[in-house]
Order: sequence, then C-alpha cells, then structure tokens
Amino acid sequence: MISLTSLAFVSMALFSIGAIGVISRRNIFVIYMSLEMMLNGINLFLVTFARYHFNMDPQVITIMVIAIAAAEAAIFLSVIILLFRSKKSLDTDVFTTLTQGEKS
Amino acid sequence: MVDLLFIGLSLLAIGGALAMIVYANPMYSALGVLISMLSVAGIFALLNATFLFMVQIIVYAGAIMTLILFILMFLNIREEDLPNEPNKFKLIALGAVIMIPLNVLVLKAVAKLPSKDMLLVNSDFGDIGPIGMVLYNNWLVAFELVSILLLVALIGAVVLAKKRTRRVKHVGEVS
Repeated sequence: MISLTSLAFVSMALFSIGAIGVISRRNIFVIYMSLEMMLNGINLFLVTFARYHFNMDPQVITIMVIAIAAAEAAIFLSVIILLFRSKKSLDTDVFTTLTQGEKS
Repeated sequence: MVDLLFIGLSLLAIGGALAMIVYANPMYSALGVLISMLSVAGIFALLNATFLFMVQIIVYAGAIMTLILFILMFLNIREEDLPNEPNKFKLIALGAVIMIPLNVLVLKAVAKLPSKDMLLVNSDFGDIGPIGMVLYNNWLVAFELVSILLLVALIGAVVLAKKRTRRVKHVGEVS
C-alpha cells in the first residue's frame, strides 16, 4: 500500500488543494496558507523520490524550501498586518490601490 | 501496521487541507493546516527522513503555524472583517476541473516507473550526519544564498515594523 503511486497521489492532492485555495478564496490569510500547502505537497514529492532513488539530495532541497518558507512567512505576515491596519479588511479585492482602474 | 499508519496519516493530511479551503473562519483553516503539516511530518518519518521529520515539526508546525495563529489572535478579526465569498464552492469546483487533468498526467507518469520497496530500512539514510555531509559538500553555495536570504528577510521585517511605529508616534504628537 505504501507505494510510489500512493505517495505521489497524496502529494499531488496537497498541491492541488493548495492551488484551488489560491484561485477560489478571497481571504488573504487562507491564500497564504494555501501557498504553504503547495510547498508542503512539493516537499512530500521530493522526499518520496529521495526514498525511491535512495539519494539524499532531494532532502537537502527540502531543507532549502523550508528555510525559504520561513523567510516568506516573516515578510508576508508583517505585510498582512500593515494592510489590515490601513484598510481594516482581509479581502483581496480591497487591496487595489496600485491598479490603474477608476476605483480609488 | 505501517500501511494502516500511512493510510491514516494520508487521510488526515488531505482532510486538513480540505478543511483549510472550506471553512470561512481563518482560525479553523489554520488548525486544519496544522493537522495537515503534522501528518506530513509523520509521512516523512515513514519515508526514512528522520531529520526532515524533526525540521517539519519544529519549523512548520512549531514556528510558522504558531506565528500565523498568533497574528490571527493579535489582529482580533471579527465576523464583519471577513470577506463574504458567495460563490466559493463554484470556484472550488472550477479549480478542481482545472487541476484534475494535471494530477492524472503526473500520476500516469509516476505509475510507469518501476516499483520498488518503499518500506523503512535500518540504515543511516536521512540522519542528520549524512544530510550534513551532503549539504556542506554538494550544496554549499545554495546554503550560503539561503543564509543571505534569511538575513534579508530579517531586515525587511524590521523595516516594515519600523514604519508602523513611526506613524503611531506622529499621530501621538498631533493629538
């Protein structure tokens, strides 16, 4: 049961659910957690193939991905705090100040 | 036994991810993500990646998700701050329609590979010592770049936090 295909199914399911969360939700916190979920699915895929080929390089790449996710968390969460303080909302449709439309 | 463990951890991981995109309250979403991350850590342990199992629990579940939960409680989000998402489930169905062909493609490609035994082995594969050797021999440049990236993120977070305190001080002077 613990085969390559089932592990690939679990990791692709996590990645797909993350992508669906990014395109379907409007809450900016949920979008950020969906990004984390996509990174998690890719990590699981890498570790699966590390075990399959008995090679340790994918595990090192996974450590790099986790470090980059930690750096991303610091910046993203401080930006979310600034946005929430200025607009009092978590809706991504509110943060349109930089677009060119007639909406102010 | 290992198979049952794997099935349970996989169901928990996928269920937590589904709870993340279904619930409207971000607090429940964060708890679902926490369950999913811990289950993925368990699957790492089943795949002989003992060091990554620890790193996943400490960094993802311990640091990142705790930071997210802390900020969710710190912002004190009420019901009216949440965006109303009337056609959330329609968009989820649309996203599933987009993502299912990609999944079928990848799973067909993976199923063509020759099957190997993926059970636990009694060796030092995935221990901290061999991973350190690979990290410092083959991936030294990437390791240094990641350390510079963490430094830049630290400085960026300090700069973003500093701008806010200056504005607060300015408001205090006016009043």
